[in-house]
Amino acid sequence: MAKMDLLQGTLDVLILKTLSWGPLHGYAVVRWISQQTEDALRIEEGALYPALHRMEERGWIEAEWGVSENNRRAKFYRLTDLGRRQLNAESESWQRYAQAVGRVLQTA
Amino acid sequence: MASWRRSFRLHLRGGTVEQDVDDEIAFHIETRTRDLIEEGFPPHLAREEALRLFGQVEGVRRTCREIGVRRERGRRWTEVFSELRQDAVFAFRQLREAPAFALIAIFTLALGIGATTAIFSLLNAVVLQPLPFPEPERIVYLWSVDRGQDRSTSPGNFFEFKNGVPSFERLAASVKASFNLTGDGAPERIDGSRVSAEYFEVLGVQPALGRGFTAAEDAPGRERVVVLSDGLWRERFGGDPKILNQAIRLNGLPHTVIGVMPAFVTLSSSDSRLWVPLALPPEDATNYGNSYLRVIGRLGPGASRTAAQAEVGRIAKRLKELDPRSNVDKEARIEPFLDRLLSGYRRRLLILLGAVACVLLIACVNVANLLLARGAARGREIAIRAALGAGRRRIVRQLLTESLVLSLAGSAAGAGLAWLGLRGLVAISPGGVPRLGQAGIDGTALACALGLGLVASLLSGLVPALRTARPDLQSTLKEGGRSIGAGSPRDRVRSGLLVAEVALSLVLLAGAGLLIRSALALQNVELGFEPAGVLTAQLSLPEADYPETERAVAAVQRVVGEVARIPGVESAAAVSILPLSGSDTSSRLDIEGNPLPPGQELHGSTREVTPGYFHTMRIPLLRGRDFTAADRKGAPKVAVVNQALARLAWPGGDALGKRLAYTGEDDKPDWIEVVGVAGDVRLGHLEDEEVRPGFYLPMDQSDLLRGDISAAVVARTAGDPAALAPAVRRAVTTVDPRLPVFEVATMEEVRAASAATARFNMLMLTALGVIGLLLAAVGIYGVIAWFVSQRTQEIGLRMALGATQGRVLAMVTWQAMRPVLVGLAVGVLGALAATRLLGGLLFGVTATDPLTFAGVLAVLAAAALLASWVPARRASRVEPSRALAP
Repeated sequence: MAKMDLLQGTLDVLILKTLSWGPLHGYAVVRWISQQTEDALRIEEGALYPALHRMEERGWIEAEWGVSENNRRAKFYRLTDLGRRQLNAESESWQRYAQAVGRVLQTA
Repeated sequence: MASWRRSFRLHLRGGTVEQDVDDEIAFHIETRTRDLIEEGFPPHLAREEALRLFGQVEGVRRTCREIGVRRERGRRWTEVFSELRQDAVFAFRQLREAPAFALIAIFTLALGIGATTAIFSLLNAVVLQPLPFPEPERIVYLWSVDRGQDRSTSPGNFFEFKNGVPSFERLAASVKASFNLTGDGAPERIDGSRVSAEYFEVLGVQPALGRGFTAAEDAPGRERVVVLSDGLWRERFGGDPKILNQAIRLNGLPHTVIGVMPAFVTLSSSDSRLWVPLALPPEDATNYGNSYLRVIGRLGPGASRTAAQAEVGRIAKRLKELDPRSNVDKEARIEPFLDRLLSGYRRRLLILLGAVACVLLIACVNVANLLLARGAARGREIAIRAALGAGRRRIVRQLLTESLVLSLAGSAAGAGLAWLGLRGLVAISPGGVPRLGQAGIDGTALACALGLGLVASLLSGLVPALRTARPDLQSTLKEGGRSIGAGSPRDRVRSGLLVAEVALSLVLLAGAGLLIRSALALQNVELGFEPAGVLTAQLSLPEADYPETERAVAAVQRVVGEVARIPGVESAAAVSILPLSGSDTSSRLDIEGNPLPPGQELHGSTREVTPGYFHTMRIPLLRGRDFTAADRKGAPKVAVVNQALARLAWPGGDALGKRLAYTGEDDKPDWIEVVGVAGDVRLGHLEDEEVRPGFYLPMDQSDLLRGDISAAVVARTAGDPAALAPAVRRAVTTVDPRLPVFEVATMEEVRAASAATARFNMLMLTALGVIGLLLAAVGIYGVIAWFVSQRTQEIGLRMALGATQGRVLAMVTWQAMRPVLVGLAVGVLGALAATRLLGGLLFGVTATDPLTFAGVLAVLAAAALLASWVPARRASRVEPSRALAP
């Protein structure tokens, strides 16, 4: 399977989904997303950080400094209530979108 | 949550937003490199690969930093606001627990701010705003000054000034005139002006519709054109632009409407509602004797008033030589247009402003005192909070927030009061105040008053805040928050404030008292006639409809006859000018057998009346007889004089049968016989110092009635005179349907209108005086109540040691009254200085009237005594055991 370019805004919902399992630092989020999508989505790893910071500003996630598994100082992100609501709304509309596109492609 | 995160971060690092971003990216790259190596990537290439996978490090770093900085800034603001909100909520809670304090403080501030803003807004609209004309400072009046009095100018003099003063770019003349407007709708009496062609150019205004007058139209025979005011155009003609070039009937003659002026030209409700050309007849160019023109001019650009004054002075000198008979005593003076417009209003409004400033100051002093007292009373509470760890800054900020909340609430209420007050003022103000209609709440004034209230409450909040927040906890807690020892510096501050408050109130009340006395004096002025039960109505008979005076007089007499027949009318008559209407005409008199020395003249007010006038008005005829129907044209000429004239013309003698003349050549007077002496009547204004000398003529016989004739019908009625107004209107219509009936009013209303300005002054200052008195009483009460609460312990001790209730009462009251007495003394001095400004507004009372001062002192002292007695009595009932209990 060829790698797909990431649709605009889709990164946000992927990050939210990733963080819904628990607090993670930025690097872990990248790793998690690559593993889950089996590297099908081509993300420039750095692109993740502006997205994280923007979501922090919006109050969807919040950050705290902690210690990583290898004893390094790392910034951990966690989902807020607002972020959880955002995730539900986004994934619902994403699924509706995917279904609609799928239906069109099947009838074609 | 926020604080948890903040403290956590603080412990882990002291970094900035920028540092955070760098650390985060560095962590990513390092961890990635390590993972790559673990996955078997050649170690020396791993870091490079990690960087490649990351992408544009610099771009990411910059974006993240920007977001971070923005986020931090937002967070700081949120924190500030949330703390402010906490403080405000706390302040509200504190104020709710002391509702009396809060309400008094808010009410006090609201009164001060509201009154000041309303009056200043009025002053701003009427006095301070520039005139709506272009370069208004160049518009001036040109007066002929006759022995110190500003007078109108004669046509001959006007032309001399017009051609001889280079400083004037333009000079125009006008004369007030009234017009009967007939045609569609009821006939109407319209006040307007005859103006020379350049009049509007002097003002610098263009008509909103159509055009102004041309020079050609400003000539006899060509002058049947009219320019309407915006108000008349809208009210009478429905604002229809098609009115242009149509003819309307003025005084019976068709006039073509050529223009409509914009609304801003009308400065007051008594301004002209239409303009027609002045159209001076050519022979008037050398008429130097008949001064009736009001002259305004526009100075040329760059021309100074001083230069113009010098030039008109030279012309005046030349006029003395040109026509010594009329001009020997005449000088000339120019006066800025606005000065004349505002003469009489400027000072009155400034006095009002001074009065409200007093009220605002009293209000501020009051709030300061209240807050000081509250701060002192809360010493213990604050000490406890400080002991529990509240920081000094935090405590001060909380106290200041409380002041802020108070002053904001007071300001909001004050703005509302100002709005109401301004509407009330406009509603009750006497007519004719220029530009009153444009008065709206002035933003600057409101802001200033708000600022003052804010500063007052913040300052007075700050003093106790700083003091009580001082970490001198132990003594405060030990003393139980009660400080023993009056006479501390803060007490002196409070006493000083009290002194100021009392003094300011006294100044206000003294002014109000003098105006009340003036209004009472006006009420009791001997009118010389009985106004109750009399209905009056104005008639105007234009020359165009009544070319012969005889026919006009006959019409007036027919109207009188019709009115007399109305059921309920006991008697009716007509008079050329109604008493107390403010108008007057006078003639120079010759007295037979008593020639005046040269340079001295006797003038008498002239009134033409129909038979029965004296009876109808209940003017006593002291000697002789009333006019009868037999005193008609052609019959021997007769007059009735008033007592004032009789005394002046025939001192010590009997006027009856003597002769006087008001017409005729100097060497051949047209003598008329005095057949009666009538009681003195206030002919002009209620405020006239004394009754003017005057004489009455039978309307039939007068030689002074010429041109457009106006008269007032007076009817004495059995019941309510106002109820007969429609019947009087019908009576006039029966005689001539073209005649407008205007100013139908009872004589009581005419009298009230004559006293309206004085009553307005009195009402305003009295209202402010009462507000000041109330505020001062509240202030005194507040201070004394605090004083008592602070000294409960001491008082209890004294009583335990044998002091009687009476002694305690006396002691506390004396403590309170000491600053009050000082304030009264200071106030008397201030009032003596301030009431001199009232000079021109007083009637029948001097500015230093001892009775008024004594009365005001008594009122204020009584209020202060009451305000201090209430808490003092509470103090005298202190139970020693309770007061001394720990």
